[in-house]
Amino acid sequence: MIPFRLVVKNLVKHPLRSALTVLSLMVAVFLLSTLRTFVVSLNAGVEQAKTNRLMVQSAVSLFVYLPDTYKAKLREVEGVEEIVRWNWFGGYYQDESNFFGQFGTDPAALLEVYDEIEVIEGSAEDFVGQRTACMIGQATAKKFGFEIGQTIPLVGVLFRRTDGQPWGFKLAAIYRATQKTMDDQTMFFHADYMRESLDQGEATGPSGVSVYVLKTAPGADTTEIMRSVDELYENGPQAVQTTTEAEFNAQFATMVGNIPLFVNAIGLGVFASILLAALNTMLMAAREQTRDVGVLKALGFTDFAVFVVMLSQSLFLCALGGALGIGVAILMDPFVATVVSMMLPTYSVTFDTLALGGVMALGVGFVAGIAPAWRARNLKVVDALSAVA
Amino acid sequence: MALVPFSYNMRSLLVRRTATLLTVLGIGATVAVVAGVLALQQGFRTLFTESGRDDVVVFLRPGSTNEGDSIFTLERSEILKKSLPEVATGPDGSFLISGELYLAVRRYKVDGGETNVPLRGVQPATFDIFGDGDDGIRIVEGRRFRPGSDEVIVGRRLVNRIQDCQVGDTIQLNVTPFQVVGVFDCNGPGSSEVWGDRDRMGEALERNAFSRVIARLGPEVDLEELKERMAEHPRVPCKVMTERDYLTGQTRVLSTMLGVLGGFLAVIMGIGAVFTATNTMLAALAARSHEIGILLSIGFRPVAIFSAFLFESMLLGLLGGAVGCVMTLPLNRVETGAANFQTFTEVAFAFRVTPFVLGVAVLFSLALGLIGGAWPAWRAARLKPTVALRRG
Repeated sequence: MIPFRLVVKNLVKHPLRSALTVLSLMVAVFLLSTLRTFVVSLNAGVEQAKTNRLMVQSAVSLFVYLPDTYKAKLREVEGVEEIVRWNWFGGYYQDESNFFGQFGTDPAALLEVYDEIEVIEGSAEDFVGQRTACMIGQATAKKFGFEIGQTIPLVGVLFRRTDGQPWGFKLAAIYRATQKTMDDQTMFFHADYMRESLDQGEATGPSGVSVYVLKTAPGADTTEIMRSVDELYENGPQAVQTTTEAEFNAQFATMVGNIPLFVNAIGLGVFASILLAALNTMLMAAREQTRDVGVLKALGFTDFAVFVVMLSQSLFLCALGGALGIGVAILMDPFVATVVSMMLPTYSVTFDTLALGGVMALGVGFVAGIAPAWRARNLKVVDALSAVA
Repeated sequence: MALVPFSYNMRSLLVRRTATLLTVLGIGATVAVVAGVLALQQGFRTLFTESGRDDVVVFLRPGSTNEGDSIFTLERSEILKKSLPEVATGPDGSFLISGELYLAVRRYKVDGGETNVPLRGVQPATFDIFGDGDDGIRIVEGRRFRPGSDEVIVGRRLVNRIQDCQVGDTIQLNVTPFQVVGVFDCNGPGSSEVWGDRDRMGEALERNAFSRVIARLGPEVDLEELKERMAEHPRVPCKVMTERDYLTGQTRVLSTMLGVLGGFLAVIMGIGAVFTATNTMLAALAARSHEIGILLSIGFRPVAIFSAFLFESMLLGLLGGAVGCVMTLPLNRVETGAANFQTFTEVAFAFRVTPFVLGVAVLFSLALGLIGGAWPAWRAARLKPTVALRRG
């Protein structure tokens, strides 16, 4: 028989100590899941990348534009079903610090190729049909309070209007991304509108296309398509590099340098300190309960029962702390996501991460509890009873 | 008023050595993490801010925050060069002003993965502007590229990190191969860049323009006046700033990010560490009620008891801080890479465990001890001698 009520009684006897231990665990689990979410979110775009999308960009640099004329030739490549242009705009709304991604694109093709874009307000038809229309992700729309029908003034940095005025884009649709390959913060408008403004001398800026996205036909050999596209422009004017969406997204993930390594190192530090804290608490508790152990054994409880009582205290405290930590992580998720949205638009805590947090808490509880429990198990009744607390 | 002797605290920490050790290590880990993030931020800051020079000025297109989105046509840059009497002259009488072409190019890392490396096409005057002294451009291997040739030199920090960056290697830019002929070093972020001839690079990349213009100013130039004049310039309005201000601006995003991360960790992990310290001190209090009773009976005032406990807790914190500092020290000068979010490029730099970092670490650890010890110390001071003596 195992006296489980004693577990609870022992913990309640030192309410402050128990509470502090639980809270430390809570803080640690919350922190670890937040840190892990950073690293995982960086790679979310890679893991969920679609296999039927290929990205054609300059082989030299992310910042080199490809000629507009490439589109017609790319269309002739066998296995290419649809082409979307992405043109980096790089402007800002009212103030330089109000940054979000803006791209000139082919609206109809974009909506077809990116089926994870779901229009939740306004209408996709208006966005496609009106030359100066734009579509914005719900997070950005909410942040700046944009309403359907309003004209959004954007100051161009690379692309400037010759009249010195900001660009105006009429908000026709607000979208939501149903997958991590797209974020909820980007603004899209008609690349053709920009093209015309440049051609008619209403604006100045670099001409060309940042990225061509190819949608491949079902069953097409993507490796073959990538090879033949690269070969087309091997000798210029601008050499291209065609990659899968996964590789394309991975280049942004590797670009942050060793940051994931730092984050993991920090996680290790958090884990170490929390393990030490829990161990400390359990050793203290065990020392105080030495005489209790003697009494239990004298009453006829087995060594095993004593072992379980000691270990359960540790497991119980840590499990409670872990559960609270998971709760806090879930509650704080939207808040943290807002704070890091500019750097990491895909931030979102996953089930795996939370589960890992729980496992970690139990692991700490087990490791911290096992040594004192084992000692209690091996204690002789006489020694235990004569011990000075 | 008599204070409880210092040796009393030392001994009591020694008697409960397991608890002391675990607490010290726990606080140490917390302090080490926070100090590590701070050392990273300091390293980044040193590379950018402290390497920037005040006698070199940078000209950007109005509205640009970095050279990546700044552009001057060849014609405009010539006009710009002619409208600056403030520029210093070199030993041969030529003006120390140079147009540069900047582009983040895709390169592969030695250990896999792609990254963006800054490529800089410079005019010969760039070398005269910076000189080859301790704060200038030093060739550490090979030689400089010859003007007008398809040769490049690479920054020291690229050599073992990025593919094709050894002397003798070839770097392909679009369809033109460039030969690596030398390795250079400088104090600033240039040590993570590839440099070559401006005109050759402009041709290879089909970018016939400048990203920024830099110049060394002559003595006694009124920078404010220059800024105002250039902002209002009728033909080539531009933004003027010292190199130091320019580089400081480049650290804004990453510095803020590391600052937020460091603060977040300090608060969250600090809470955990305070809890541990409180637990340890509460246990110390429980075990020593009897002693406290004796101390009170022989005439020590509650204030003395309070100070003794608080002192002991701060001592715990300080020991933890020392452990944390020792754990952080090996990080000093370790090279690492992180993104410069302003230009989307990766820069390499070293952790810097400066006296400032250590000072913050020690203060942080003391604060943890102080906060963690406050409540147990208060409880200790409030004990009644009779009650305390009766307890274990």
